[in-house]
Formats: sequence, C-alpha cells, structure tokens
Amino acid sequence: MESVKSLGRRWGRQLRANAALASRVSALEDEVHECRQLNLRLAELCDVMMELLVPMAERNPERVDELLARYRDEISDPRPWAEDERRTDG
Amino acid sequence: MDVEVDDKGLTLADGTDRALDVLFDGRRIFSFWSGRDTRSAGLGRRRFAWPPALHRFLDGQTELQLIDHLTGAEEFRARVQLGTGTDPIVVQDPQGNPLGLDKSMRLTRLFESRSEEHLAPLLDAVGTALAALEQAGVRPFLAYGTLLGAVREGHLIGHDSDADLAYVSRHDHPADAMRESFELQRALRRQGFPISRYSGLAFKIIVRESDGSPRGLDVFGGFMREGTLYLMGEVGAPFQLDWIEPRSRVVLEGREFPAPAVPARLLEAMYGPTWEVPDPAYKFETPLSTQRRLTGWFRGTRVGLDNMWNRVRAGTAVANRTQVSTFAQWVRAQEPEAACVVDIGCGDGRDTTWMARQGVEAWGVDYFPRSFRAAARRAAAQDLPCHFDWMNLCELRSVLVTGALLARRPGPRVAMARHVLDATDATGRDSLLRLARMVTGPSGRLYLQTQTVATRPSRALGVRPVAPAAVEKLVAARGGRVVERHDLTEDTDAGSATGPGEGPGPSTLTRWVIAWNR
Repeated sequence: MESVKSLGRRWGRQLRANAALASRVSALEDEVHECRQLNLRLAELCDVMMELLVPMAERNPERVDELLARYRDEISDPRPWAEDERRTDG
Repeated sequence: MDVEVDDKGLTLADGTDRALDVLFDGRRIFSFWSGRDTRSAGLGRRRFAWPPALHRFLDGQTELQLIDHLTGAEEFRARVQLGTGTDPIVVQDPQGNPLGLDKSMRLTRLFESRSEEHLAPLLDAVGTALAALEQAGVRPFLAYGTLLGAVREGHLIGHDSDADLAYVSRHDHPADAMRESFELQRALRRQGFPISRYSGLAFKIIVRESDGSPRGLDVFGGFMREGTLYLMGEVGAPFQLDWIEPRSRVVLEGREFPAPAVPARLLEAMYGPTWEVPDPAYKFETPLSTQRRLTGWFRGTRVGLDNMWNRVRAGTAVANRTQVSTFAQWVRAQEPEAACVVDIGCGDGRDTTWMARQGVEAWGVDYFPRSFRAAARRAAAQDLPCHFDWMNLCELRSVLVTGALLARRPGPRVAMARHVLDATDATGRDSLLRLARMVTGPSGRLYLQTQTVATRPSRALGVRPVAPAAVEKLVAARGGRVVERHDLTEDTDAGSATGPGEGPGPSTLTRWVIAWNR
C-alpha cells in the first residue's frame, strides 16, 4: 500500500503540474489574442497602401497634400471644429 | 411582496428571480431582476441599490410601484420619501423630457415616453441610413432590439432607446471584413454622413433629422466563417448564410424595413432561445470564446474614450488648468528655433495655443475633439498659427496619415506629449513614438512628460504610471534614444499651472527628451 508520504509527494507533483498547465494555457491565450490583433493592423496597412500610397505614386506632387487631407477627413470622427473654422474663415 | 425602501435602495422579501418594473408616480423608470441584480441581505431577503444614474433625482416624494414585467401584477405600492426634499421626484432632462434607464442602466429618453410624432424622425433616420448603406454596397437590415421589436410586436420596444442596424460582409476573413468596413466608411462620408468608429467592424452613422438635429445609429458589421456567424458586438453562433440572404421585410411602426431571411434565427443567436419573452433588463451572456474572438479581431480602437465620456457626463472632465503648463514652457525654452510644434494628445489645447502665441506654427491632435473645440474656435477667431485635428493613437490609419501630413510642415519640427504615454495602452504608446518619429524626422526631438508613481491627481486624471525603465525600453525598440531625463517631484495638482518642481520629496514625474538614431 502506498505510504502517506509518497501519496503526498504524488499530490504535490500533480498540483505543481496543474499550476504549470494553467500558466501555459494563460500564456497561450495571450498569444492567441496577440495573433488576432494582427488582423486589424493588417487591414489598416492594406487600406493605407491601397488608398494612399498607390494613388500618391500615380499623382503629381502638388496633389499629395490634397490626397492626404482627403484620406484623413474620410477616416476621422465627426469634425465640428473644422466646420467652425470654415464658418469663421468665411 | 414585502419591500422596505430607503435612501440607498430597496430590500425585497422575494425568493424568485424575475424582471420587475420600477414606477415613480405611475411612470416606469427602470427594471431589474429580483435575483440576478440583487445581493443577499440575510433572512432570505434581497437588497437592490438605487442605480447611480438616478442618484441626483432621488430627493423628494413619489408613489413607488413594483410591477412583475411578465404578468403585469402589482407587487408593491407605497408613498415613499427619499432624501429630505418635499417636491415630487421627477426624472427628466432640463427640457422637461421624461427620462428612464435602459438595460445598461444608462439614463436616456426611452421610446415608451415618446409620442408617434416623436418616433417619426427616428424611423426616417433609419430609412435614410439603410438607403445610404445599401448605396455604399452592403445589404443592411434591422438588428438587435430594433429587429426584436419589429418581429415581436411590430413596434419599437418601449424600454429601448436607440435603433440598431447590421449587415453581413461578403468576405470570410476578419481582416477583409474590416477593409470592407473602412471602404464603407469612406463611401458614407462621400455621401455626406459623419461617422464615428467604434471598432474595426462597427461604427455610428450620424443622420440629420428634418429639424437638423443629429441622430447616431449604430451599424454592426458581421461575417460568416466556417459555418459560424460573427456579428458585432455580441454574436458568435453556428449559422447558415441562407438565414440572412435573401433578405425579408418586417413591419416596424407601420413602415417596412429589411430584415434577415429568417429573423427568428438571428434573434435566437442574439438573445438566446427565450428571445420571444420580453425582458426589459436583458443582459447579454456572450460566451467568453466569442468575446475573445470579437475583441481580439476588431476591438481596441477606443481605449480610454468611454472613460472620457463618463467624465464628461459626470462633469469631471473640465480641465483644472487655468494657464499654460510648465512642461510647455520648458519645451519652448529648450527649442527656441522650432518652426513647428506638434502637441500630441493636446486635450483642451491650452499648450498648443500658447505655443502659437509664441509665433510657432502649432498643431494640437487629440482623439476627443470636444476637449479642444473651444480652443480651436478661439485660435481661428484670433487668427493664430494654430491648428487642431482629430487623431486616434489606437488607429494606425489615423496615425500614419497624420504623420504624413505633419511631416510636410516647415521645420525644424518638435513633438511634445504631456501625460499621453501613461494614459494609453501598448498600441497607443507604440503609435505615439511612431508618430513623433514621422513628424520630427532625424533632426527633431520628442518631449515627454510621464507619471512614474500614482498620486491622487494622477488617479483623478485616469493616468496610469509607467516605470522609467519601460519608457527607455520602448524608445529603444522604436529606434530612439533618451537624450535627457529629469525626475521631478509633483505639486499638489498634476494638472496645475505650477506643475512639477525639483524640490524635496520622492520623484513622481519624469520629463524626457528623445531623439532618433540615424
């Protein structure tokens, strides 16, 4: 029959193994999250490349400012202060 | 039911868990679940604390009723006194419109308190937004509470407060679905609709009602992947595309609107198999795996923004600075030759405006335009060389285009950021350094002030201290080097004009000068 001492040791090993597994699962969850987050970065980079860099390479330098400003306007939150500026200017 | 009422809340002797409507003088104010939303008060009694959003109203007298939402049975009625006031308790906005709490316990104007005449502009707005989305290339339909109300009753749900729209992408990869969402945003902007983005796959479209007042409608994107429908913000369920397409029509308040092919399937995915049973205090029980997927793929673009809005609503977002910060004065003293200063996370724009007054072209960028609106107006009226713009450190597109625009301004350019690195997350910190590098180029410098130890004012401002070693590591990872570092003590108020000093006591703040390796 297994002695109390060896049973204790076995339990101790099991507890340590469980704790190690829990910490590995937690680390893996973090890593999966990091991988998922790359989707947003990838989508944003593709958008910048296709909507900004490619057209910029095709246009003359004078229109670059215009292209940048338009891209910025179209991704921005509402711009009430800019309307204020225009009203003040006008 | 045996109920005790006091200034802090209700104590119920109710052994069941059911939705109860709370009425003041005969008008429903909110609902709660007698088990789920309460805690034990001993002897089989349950305690419910008054929702914080109601606190400011609870000073006076009212006839309080508790009604079982499903059976309509009155469970309790009594004349009660809360606080010391003697007037009737009235829950309304300054214009006298009745207010109630929605299912998230937010104070709002609920549909049940609106007349048909008041609902017409909302229905018009829904129609306008649906048409705009259709024109922009997706196939939208009513979603969440709006779809539920239409299918269940043919009406908007009384305890709801807004209308929701959704569409399912033609793509099956999260990155492609987001690209499509960005494209949709552009198409809607070109149609003249302001857009406020919530995440990579959801945004708010702002439609002007006939009287010119703005109304925001939430648009949730979704996509199908390997037999599962993922729809912002709560759905991840086994699904078939033919439950969505071709779309059907439902009637809402006497008007027809598009709906999924089998609305019941989507409603079950949204609200579970009991979707047909009304629940005014419904709480989503989205499985953790779905939450993780949706958050991992799409969220993270609004870090800190909800906190800002909470502070605005609570009236604590008002800047406590009355004049320029000592940080800005220090930056100016270090950089007398600078032609252009970019104030990243400019807040109320005081420092930006002050820089412009020194004759420097100044740019203030922040993700919360409400903060700098007044400064932008003043600067424009005074013809200062001062410009403000929206920029979100948690959206790479925004950071890259802002950097590209500012890099074309006259040099030498300097960037400064006072308590920004310590107010954003890892993505925001990375973006801040990327933006500063783009703006200042190989010759310009970035000036930072960061909190290193939490203090009472820093907690009040929502600033989370960052260890100096972590800042140094971050700078090195972005190809920068720390040129100067000053550890400072803090005065009583981190936001005060006096700011930090180098007096006795432990250091709580650090100022940094950062340059870039060639």
